[in-house]
Amino acid sequence: MNLLNPVKDALSTGRRLLMPSCREALRLQSEALEQPLPPTRRPGLWLHLLLCKWCRFYGQQIRFLRHAAHAHADELTQATPQKLSPEARERIRQKLRARPE
Amino acid sequence: MEKDNASASNPLPPGLSDPEQWVELHGDYLFKYALMRLRDPAKAEDAVQETFLAALKGGKSFAGRSAEKSWLIGVLKNKIYDHYRKASRETSFTDLEFYSDEESDRFVPDGLLKDGWIHELGPTEWASPGASLDSELFWKTFRDCSDKLPKNVAAVFSLREVDGIESKEICALLHISESNLWVMLHRARMALRRCLDTNWFGKQA
Repeated sequence: MNLLNPVKDALSTGRRLLMPSCREALRLQSEALEQPLPPTRRPGLWLHLLLCKWCRFYGQQIRFLRHAAHAHADELTQATPQKLSPEARERIRQKLRARPE
Repeated sequence: MEKDNASASNPLPPGLSDPEQWVELHGDYLFKYALMRLRDPAKAEDAVQETFLAALKGGKSFAGRSAEKSWLIGVLKNKIYDHYRKASRETSFTDLEFYSDEESDRFVPDGLLKDGWIHELGPTEWASPGASLDSELFWKTFRDCSDKLPKNVAAVFSLREVDGIESKEICALLHISESNLWVMLHRARMALRRCLDTNWFGKQA
């Protein structure tokens, strides 16, 4: 049985050279949201996603989260006004007037 | 009037608008810029105040309003950067303990199928996710899931995904490398996805 291990390892390595694992595929899809993947990585990922629906769903879902978070920023940031409050304005004005010469 | 005293003892260079007007002219957009990055109104106010004070000390001359604006933003960026640099001295911004893979229990640990999804544990399709965006309860769930993230990772996610700030600027602000940033974003996305899957999408009939 031990004789099979090098064969299994070689198959595993060979597959890895052609195609990322699911774990890698998740990381690559996240990275692809930040910058274009290196060209050498693209065919393997494309093939993996063709064959693996779970990783495909994952990619759809993180893209959905990006869209949701960005389009509905108001739901996720505190409901603070985007302008200086009157108190803050006055406070800053006072500070500027009182500046040391 | 105060303006006359200023010009007598400490003349402002030509072209610089009256400091009395700065708060009115520049206060709001500087505050909004700082608030998006610092995520705390009190800190944002301080940053704006420090920016104006630095402008007074610096006393540059400007060709016009837009030069003044970009110079002020430049000073503000430095103030924001100083804030993060100070914060990162207290806690590491890379949150090493979070680097333990959130989903490690869902991958095949060894053998030919190592690092593949364990069959029944892979992500399932979300039915009509767009429809959830109209639900108050969905957003509460989203916020609760975000709160579970380590603070620094949550900050990175917010800066990038909510505010849409460029990666390079986030890296400069937080004094981290691009690869650090990507790892943190990957972890944030993975954790949020799983949390929403468990607490929202997975529960739908």
